[in-house]
Amino acid sequence: MGVEVPKIDFKKIDGSSPGYYAICAIWLIICLIGVYAYYLQWIHGEQLTGLNNQVPWGFGIAAVCYFIGASAGSLIVSALSGVFEKEEFKIFSRSAAFFAAAMIVAAMGAIFTDIGNPANSINFLIHFNPTSIFSWNAFLYSSYFAVCFVYLLAQFEEKKFLVRCIAVFAVGWAVLVHSGTGGIIGFVYSNDFYHSSLTPPLFIISAIASGLGLLIPTYILTFKWTKREYDLDLLWTLTKIMGAMVILLIYCFAVEGFEKGYMPASHEAFLRMITSPETPVVYVYWIGQIGLMLLALAIMLSPFRKREWAMIAAGLIVAVAVFCERYTLVVPGLSYPYEVFAGYEVVKPFHIVPYYPSWTEWAIVFGLLAGVYLAYCIGIKIFALLPEKAVKIEKGEVKK
Amino acid sequence: MISRRKFLVLVTASAATIATGKALSIGEEEHKSELSNYEWGMIIDVDKCTQCIKEIMEKEGIDDVEKVKPPCIRECDKANNVPESEKYYYSLIRIYEVREREDAAPLYFPVMCQECEHPACVQVCLTKASYRREDGIIVVDLHRCIGCRYCMIACPYNARRFLWEPPEEHLRVVNPEAPIRKHGVVMKCEFCLWKIDRERAENKEPKPVCVEACPHKALIFGNLKDPNSEVSKILKTSKVLTLRAYLGTNPKVKYKLWGD
Repeated sequence: MGVEVPKIDFKKIDGSSPGYYAICAIWLIICLIGVYAYYLQWIHGEQLTGLNNQVPWGFGIAAVCYFIGASAGSLIVSALSGVFEKEEFKIFSRSAAFFAAAMIVAAMGAIFTDIGNPANSINFLIHFNPTSIFSWNAFLYSSYFAVCFVYLLAQFEEKKFLVRCIAVFAVGWAVLVHSGTGGIIGFVYSNDFYHSSLTPPLFIISAIASGLGLLIPTYILTFKWTKREYDLDLLWTLTKIMGAMVILLIYCFAVEGFEKGYMPASHEAFLRMITSPETPVVYVYWIGQIGLMLLALAIMLSPFRKREWAMIAAGLIVAVAVFCERYTLVVPGLSYPYEVFAGYEVVKPFHIVPYYPSWTEWAIVFGLLAGVYLAYCIGIKIFALLPEKAVKIEKGEVKK
Repeated sequence: MISRRKFLVLVTASAATIATGKALSIGEEEHKSELSNYEWGMIIDVDKCTQCIKEIMEKEGIDDVEKVKPPCIRECDKANNVPESEKYYYSLIRIYEVREREDAAPLYFPVMCQECEHPACVQVCLTKASYRREDGIIVVDLHRCIGCRYCMIACPYNARRFLWEPPEEHLRVVNPEAPIRKHGVVMKCEFCLWKIDRERAENKEPKPVCVEACPHKALIFGNLKDPNSEVSKILKTSKVLTLRAYLGTNPKVKYKLWGD
């Protein structure tokens, strides 16, 4: 005899109001602008980006890391009920899994739009390089999408044991995918800014923070606009988890910063990148990354913390702050030149190259994000992803 | 009509068969070709390079090393279809000015792909587009390169260039013997392998274009596996500098700094 579990009614949204179509139209327009920007890039080459031979990775790769992170974070929220037996979070399990699948597609889209020769992209399937962590990740990303898809199907079928098994596997896979993505950056031993074993675990923490940062406002607004009854306490619990992740992140930044600043060979470079206004990095680091995370924490600790607007604001601020963190992870290590002649007092050329993303890069990344939200809007209309009531079901209210 | 269960079993079985076949083929013994008799390397005499660059700067009245284009770079660009662009630095060789201290006399180092024994670029390449030939030359297969630029990030010497623009718009002459690239792929110095392969087949002593173009004979190229080659003799008798040696990449380009 198994324990009886509360059954939740998942229902499609009506999706016939002008407001719904207006939201879909906004996402579609942003998507189309992204498609147009990519078309221009396809024709004219990546000279349309702000990248160059010293800074060959920028906004696009930061977006790859971000989307994968948000996907892993969403999947972990989805699995709270299946893996950790937090049944009250089952109401989020379907939509969060859908979100995770959409985000990983956006991440693959960000890779596809960032590479210079997409016509050859099939080669990553044909010529697998076992020594390349990126090659492993290409396999992990595509399989991760399949895992999200199967997990969602199992949830639709209401197979409790199967859902639990796949949820455990999916969370393990999400951790692997995200550690692997961290490894793409962290294993680059030629770059002192990149080389760090802290990067993979830091990626997982950021993943949960950014996933929750996007999901919390999305849920509150979805429940509000679809006139669903919802329990703010559940969202407050998610906000608290996000707050804990932000504290952990700040701790990791401090450890990483002190470590980089401790070694005489790298402390000058590190200090210069985070203090000198030669590049936008200094603003992105102090205002975008550290400042916004502290602001989000302040909101989460304020007396208004349990209000809807406070949770929405905190979520959005964390979502932006984690993107800034991805940017400062990718860009400063390239803006500051590689020290090919380390130890010599004068080396020329030695340029700190500022990198400013071009409008095409912004448009492509926002186009992909809009694509995720467009998929979400369509998804909640054609699939039963959202609960009829987003409230805790007490034991006495068990439905059969 | 095939059932869903049967279909899934068939798909899984087929995937497993393909994966097993692929895995078994990894273990197949590789046959060594004639190329394995060679290991190309280069020794750069920094004193001679410094003399050359100083002469050009004096003659042309240039005080910025970045504006200097010595014959090795000029000829390399022409022979290897390297585009000339005002926006991006594409030349496969870059001259660095290095001083021990502010008031010391400058030394000029030409830095190109260091043709490492343990190349980071090959290690990270997503599609095996970058690979190490049996003679030690690191090659980019333009038909495999997807332009992800991970190799550029991983290269400790910043020796790779990405074609941001359509190169045909920035080429004055085209050498049909050398690779003709399109935008969106990565390029690097390959010791002019198109030339050295031809010369080897013609039983000539192979030399990359930069080596031939150098008026001071500062670049010495040869087979490191041949104990009687000039590069081997220099390595036996002279002190040389290896760039970023602590990384363990073991470059095959060395810098001779201290005279004979």
